[in-house]
Amino acid sequence: MKTRFNLVLSGVGGQGIITLGRLIGLGCMHAGVDVSIAEVHGMSQRGGSVIVHVRIGEGESPIIPVGGADTIISLELLEGARSLVYANKGTTLVVNDFLWPPPLVKYPPRDTILAAISGKGLTYYLYDANKVSMEVSGSVVSSNIALLGFTLAVDKQLSKYIELSDIEWAIEKTLRGHLVDINKRLLKKSYEDGLRHVNP
Amino acid sequence: MSHILAGEGEKVLLMGNEAIARAALEAGICVATAYPGTPSTEIIETLSEVAGKCGIYVEWSINEKVAFETAYAAAITGVRSITAMKHVGVNVAADILMSSAYSGVKEGFVVVSADDPGEHSSQNEQDNRWYGLLAHIPVIEPSSARDSYYLTKEAFELSSRYEHPVILRTTTRVSHTRQPVELTGDVPSEKKCKGVFDKNYERWVLVPANARKQKTRMMKIWEAIRRNEGREPFIRVWNPGRSKVVIASGISYSHAEEALRLLDALNDVTLIKVSLPVPLPPAPITTVLKDAKEVLIIEELDPVVETQVKDIAVDEGLSVKIHGKNMIPENGELSIDRVFEPVAKFIGRETLPPWQSIGEVKTEPPIPPRPPVLCAGCPHRSTYYIVKTALNKAGIRNTVFTGDIGCYTLGYQKPFETQMTCFEMGGSLGIAHGFGKVLENTVIAVIGDSTFFHAGIPPVLNIVYNDSKVIPLILDNSTTAMTGHQPHPGTGITAMGLRTTAILPEKILEQAGFKTIVINPLRVKESIELLTQAFKEYLKGERIAIVSRMRCALEVARDARRKQVVLPIYTIIEDKCTGCMACANLTACPAIIVPAGSKKPIILEELCNGCGLCASICPYKAITVKNTPSPEWERLW
Repeated sequence: MKTRFNLVLSGVGGQGIITLGRLIGLGCMHAGVDVSIAEVHGMSQRGGSVIVHVRIGEGESPIIPVGGADTIISLELLEGARSLVYANKGTTLVVNDFLWPPPLVKYPPRDTILAAISGKGLTYYLYDANKVSMEVSGSVVSSNIALLGFTLAVDKQLSKYIELSDIEWAIEKTLRGHLVDINKRLLKKSYEDGLRHVNP
Repeated sequence: MSHILAGEGEKVLLMGNEAIARAALEAGICVATAYPGTPSTEIIETLSEVAGKCGIYVEWSINEKVAFETAYAAAITGVRSITAMKHVGVNVAADILMSSAYSGVKEGFVVVSADDPGEHSSQNEQDNRWYGLLAHIPVIEPSSARDSYYLTKEAFELSSRYEHPVILRTTTRVSHTRQPVELTGDVPSEKKCKGVFDKNYERWVLVPANARKQKTRMMKIWEAIRRNEGREPFIRVWNPGRSKVVIASGISYSHAEEALRLLDALNDVTLIKVSLPVPLPPAPITTVLKDAKEVLIIEELDPVVETQVKDIAVDEGLSVKIHGKNMIPENGELSIDRVFEPVAKFIGRETLPPWQSIGEVKTEPPIPPRPPVLCAGCPHRSTYYIVKTALNKAGIRNTVFTGDIGCYTLGYQKPFETQMTCFEMGGSLGIAHGFGKVLENTVIAVIGDSTFFHAGIPPVLNIVYNDSKVIPLILDNSTTAMTGHQPHPGTGITAMGLRTTAILPEKILEQAGFKTIVINPLRVKESIELLTQAFKEYLKGERIAIVSRMRCALEVARDARRKQVVLPIYTIIEDKCTGCMACANLTACPAIIVPAGSKKPIILEELCNGCGLCASICPYKAITVKNTPSPEWERLW
């Protein structure tokens, strides 16, 4: 039973998850593969949990089944842990090393979250995308692009469909002015970080 | 050039709503109207961005009723038009919707109803295909973002052919999914933008005598559509003649097709894709039912197709077993997840789904839920704090706050609890008036600026006319924030970016008879004093209203980035902080967090938008500006 390649993007509303989905979608078009990207807009974007479903390959049904993710990219630790219901034993998780608790609640500390993720037995990668974004662009706004660059280097499944050059093309298509160069630089740097991570 | 205007043969990545906008342009529309509402907003937003270039007229109307009337008026003069609204917006436009079917149109007129199964961003998940049956208006339902491009063009042709309105019904997952779309046409350079009003009073004046004639005319069209439109692309049949039949409508078709494909069973059943669920054309369904023993109907929400298929079976005297809502959930959004097992069962397989979740991550304390919250720097947060503090100072206890539709609805949460009801657009004021007649409490009706213009003016006048002691509180952030910052009548700018008269809510309130206090919620102390005074006057019998005016923090932050203006960034001085948590507990600001294991809060400086509310609240003066803001920063707010 062949299924499409299922990529879950998760994080907190406002972290650039929809932009990330759009860049990957354009990248897929550039790479010549079919894709659908299901987003949420409106109220759920206001600082709430956000999930974007990217499905690569032919087919029209836009929502990834629970347990059906091949890869999960998450911009925040609690959301990364939450979105693991989409994971199966073969899923790869790439998560931003950034813990952003919701206001006025008790929450597990970073190490507890990481231990619980490890306990699930899947392959996971931790990357400080906020820090890298801050270093290269002077703001955390581009942490989405940093995490994607890193993922393309470490996740051999996703990189069967799209390459770094496809995302560079998508950045050129989507962003304007000086942001194009900054984000391409950031993409490259995080990709190289990823390569070093898998081949130290 | 905008990707929306790419040429024929090009492949572009389009959101479903963009695909509808592009198709409408290809169909030659010259008028497009809407009031923004998730998940419909981007249709008219996309058209507004290319309006100048394409020479079409686009407006953000004051509400859906007026949007409908404006586009409908164009269509009865022979100018093609589109109006788009969220499912509950159609309720607001329902009166004219019903009449529009009686009188019909002269040229293509498409009403997009963007439904929201699963209530991603809505107060209900009503299935608007019923409106088609109620009003006798055909409903076209695309199965994907890509499909909405082709079917929007078909919708215009259908509407033109029968001189009848057509509803294009999307759902969130059609409207808000992006897919590559290969463009099969160009945007015409010539289109009809000037209409002619045909003074056919019998058709346009629905007095009872004329309405009876128009009803007869309408029913003929309705029957003709049922008879003639059971064809591709509206009804598409694969493998006719099988004993098992799967019928699926709209997006459910995409789930059904994938489930059958995963089960390697696409050739084992007759599969029908329904793109015209209302009125369901009987002929092709009858043909398939005659060969069938068992049918499964897959559709999201209500049994609209199922009811009609059962009618057809009864009319034809066919004894076929028809499954629908006995196997497919009636509540919530469908997905391949929820469709796979019923489909497997229907075709007699015990196959498990090809995906097995590792299950939820368990931690102690557990992963907390993350509902949407007011953004860092949101002026609504400050307003809520100011109003509650001033009520306390004036000695008013146990206030009832009625609520409305917008970002500020999030004030229902702790610590604010300044939204105690939320039903529909403008409801805060009408509900407050009713409360005012039966409750002893002080009642404050909280409503945003765009919502006030949309549906707040009649009920605010009713408060005065029928004399209840309700206090209207208008949260004016000078935009329609929740749907992505569209202009409205208070902003002095139109959808096409033209300057126009800005209508101020306080002028309307003053004219109606309210003593209206306008506050700046960035100035916390001053506003508390002004409102405390106003509430004291209210206690003496004065009729008061409040307008709290400050721009949306997201717009301010965006402008600051663009104009390279440095906003203040606050920080908590650890030595002065006693860990009393007043800043965290009273603001619930997402930029203030308490690190695990710490007894003192910190401010995530990259998230702070510099509103300064926490600094005004801190009893120990432990919160100060950390950076050097640009001298002109306050002008951005």
